[in-house]
Amino acid sequence: MVDMPAQNPQRIVLPPHRERARRPRIVRFREWARRNLFNSRAGTALTIITAAILALIVYGVVYFVFVDANWRVITENRWLLFAGGYPMDQEWRLWFSVMFVFLLIGLTYGTWASLGRRDHLFIVLASGFAILLLAHGGAAIWSTIWYLIAVGLLYAGYAIMIRMPREAGPGRTLQQRSVAGLLIAALPIILIVLLAFGGARPRELEGFVLNLVLAPVGIAGGLVIAIPLALGRASRMRAISWTCTTYIEVVRGAPLLGWLFVALFILDDVIGGELIVRAMVVLAVFTAAYMAEYIRGALQALPGGQSEAAHAVGLNQFQSMQLIVMPQALRISIPPMVGQAISIWKDTTLVTVILPLRELKGNADSAIAQFEFTPDRIEAYVFVAVVFWVVAFIMSRISQRVEGSLGIGER
Amino acid sequence: MTTETEATPTRDLESMEDIIIAENVDKWFGDFQALDNISMRIKEHEIVVVLGPSGSGKSTFIRCLNRLEEHDAGRIVIDGIEMNDDVRNLNAIRSEVGMVFQQFNLFPHLSVMNNITLGPRKVRRMPKLDADALAMQLLERVGIPEQAEKYPAQLSGGQQQRVAIARALAMQPKIMLFDEPTSALDPEMIKEVLDVMQELARSGMTMIVVTHEMGFAREVADRLIFFDEGSLVEEGTPQHFFENPQEDRTKLFLSQIL
Repeated sequence: MVDMPAQNPQRIVLPPHRERARRPRIVRFREWARRNLFNSRAGTALTIITAAILALIVYGVVYFVFVDANWRVITENRWLLFAGGYPMDQEWRLWFSVMFVFLLIGLTYGTWASLGRRDHLFIVLASGFAILLLAHGGAAIWSTIWYLIAVGLLYAGYAIMIRMPREAGPGRTLQQRSVAGLLIAALPIILIVLLAFGGARPRELEGFVLNLVLAPVGIAGGLVIAIPLALGRASRMRAISWTCTTYIEVVRGAPLLGWLFVALFILDDVIGGELIVRAMVVLAVFTAAYMAEYIRGALQALPGGQSEAAHAVGLNQFQSMQLIVMPQALRISIPPMVGQAISIWKDTTLVTVILPLRELKGNADSAIAQFEFTPDRIEAYVFVAVVFWVVAFIMSRISQRVEGSLGIGER
Repeated sequence: MTTETEATPTRDLESMEDIIIAENVDKWFGDFQALDNISMRIKEHEIVVVLGPSGSGKSTFIRCLNRLEEHDAGRIVIDGIEMNDDVRNLNAIRSEVGMVFQQFNLFPHLSVMNNITLGPRKVRRMPKLDADALAMQLLERVGIPEQAEKYPAQLSGGQQQRVAIARALAMQPKIMLFDEPTSALDPEMIKEVLDVMQELARSGMTMIVVTHEMGFAREVADRLIFFDEGSLVEEGTPQHFFENPQEDRTKLFLSQIL
C-alpha cells in the first residue's frame, strides 16, 4: 500500500488516496455521504425515509428505557429474578460460582484467543448493566464489590495466560491441558459448590441460576451422549447403527416441549427423583440427538486418509478414533454445536411452561404478578430478553474466537 | 536398524530371504476386479518399483500389503506372518510395514513432533523422551529438524511428505510402501523427497514404490513391475524394462510416459 520511493525522500509524490486521506475528517465524511447516501434522487429519498424510521426507533427505545419504564420491577425483585428460592444466607456460593466462571473465561481467552477492543467494550457495557442492576435502589454495596472482584479475576486470569508463550512445546501443552481440564471440571465443581455441604436443595435452584445450571448440564450431558451415538450411527454393525439412528430420529421427531411433558409424567413413574434432575436428563437426551448428527457430519467430512494413516502407523481402531478422528471431527463441528448450545440455552425457559420449575422467565412472571408491578410487564420481559441475549452473545463470541485460534493446526 | 548401510547396486539379493510373498491374490470392488491372480515374491532389502496406468491396481496391491484393503482370495505372507483375520497378526504386520501416501495424510491437529512420536508411544509404549529423541534423529535424517514444533499446514508439500516418511520410519519398519509419494507435489519439491527415498534405499530398507518417476525407477530399483487392468503384465530389471520390454502393453505405456 505504502509505495513511497525510499531513495529520494525530498521528492515524495503522494498517491491520490493518501492525499485524500490527509483532508479533514468532515470533508471526507461529506464526500462519503454524497457518494453513498445522496447519489441520486431515489437514493436521497430512501436515505431520508430510513433515517426517519431509525430516529423513531431510537427515540422510542431511549424514551422507554430512560423515561417511561419503571425499572423498579427489576431492582425490587432482584433476588427473585436471579436466585428465587435459593437460600439467601448461602449467597456466597452464588458469588463463588460467578467468580469461578469469570476466571475461566479469562483463562480461556488468554490461552486460545486475545481480547480485542470490542471485547473490552462489551465487558465494560455488560458490567455497567450489571452494576446498575446490583447497586440500584440502595442495595448492599457488597454485591457490587463481589461483581467487580469477578471482573478483576477475569482480567487477572487473562493477563497470566496471555503472557505465556504461544509456540508449541511442553509448556504450551501443559497450559492448554490445565485450562481444558479446568473447563471440563468446572460444571461438577459449580454444582458441588451450589448444592453440596449445606448448600441449596436441588428444588431451591430457581431464577437465572436455574437457567445457568440447566443449560450447561444439558449441553455437557448432550455432548457426552452424542459422541458414542454418532459413532454408533456410523457403525458397520447393523444392530448398533439401527438403534442409534432410531434414537436420533425419535428424539428429533418431537419438540422439546413434548419431551418435557415426558419428564413431568412418564419419567416420574420410571426414574422418579427430583423434577430438576428429570429436566436435566431430558435436556441432555434432546441435545444429544442434534449434536450426534453434527458430529456424524464432521466424521464424514474428514478425509478417509486420516484413519488409514492412523492404521498404517499401527494404531488400533479405538486409538485411531480417540487420537486422530474424534479430535478433528469435534473441531469441525464446533460452529453447529455452538448454535445448538445457544438454542438449548434459550429453550431452558420452556421448563417454566411445562414443569413447576421457576427459571428466570418464570420468576419474571411472578414479579409482575405482584399487584404493584402488574403494569410493568414489558419492562420485565425486555429485561429477561436482554439477559438472555447477553449470555448467548458471550457464548457465540467465545466460540468464534476460540475456533479462530484452533484453526492454526488446520490443513 | 540395519546392518547393511554400505550397500552397493550389485547387492547379493539372491541369498536373501523372501520378506513378502503374495500368491494368487484377487481383489474385488463390487463387480470390478481390481486385482487378478497376482503372485510375487520380494526379497529383503529389495527395491521394487511398481508401474502402471491409473486404475491398473498398483495402489490396491500395495494397500493390500498392510491391509488397508482386504484381499478376497489368495494369500499374503509378510516376514513369515500370514495376513488373515487374526488381529494380532495384523498388528504385527502393520508395525513392520511403514506406508507413505500420495496425500501425505499427516495429522493436521498434531505438531510435526507428535505426528512422528504418536506411533512409537502408543503402539510400542516408548517413553516420551526416547520417542522425542528418535523423532529428532529422523527429522535430521530427512533434513528438516528445525520444523519439529510446527504444524503440518505450516510446511510445504515436500516438507510434509518428508515428515510423513519420518513418521513411517519411527515405527522402525522392515518394509516401506510408497503410494505415489511425489504425485501431489509441485515439481520443484519432488527432488527433495526422492533424495530422501534414495538415501533410504541405500540404507538397505526393503521398499515397494508406486511411482511415475522414471528417473528414480531407473536409478534405484532392483526390479520393475508393470500392472495393467489388475494383472501383473511384466517384470524385470530396469535395464530389461527400458531397453527391451516384451509385452505390447508395456511398450505402449512406456512410450506414453517417457
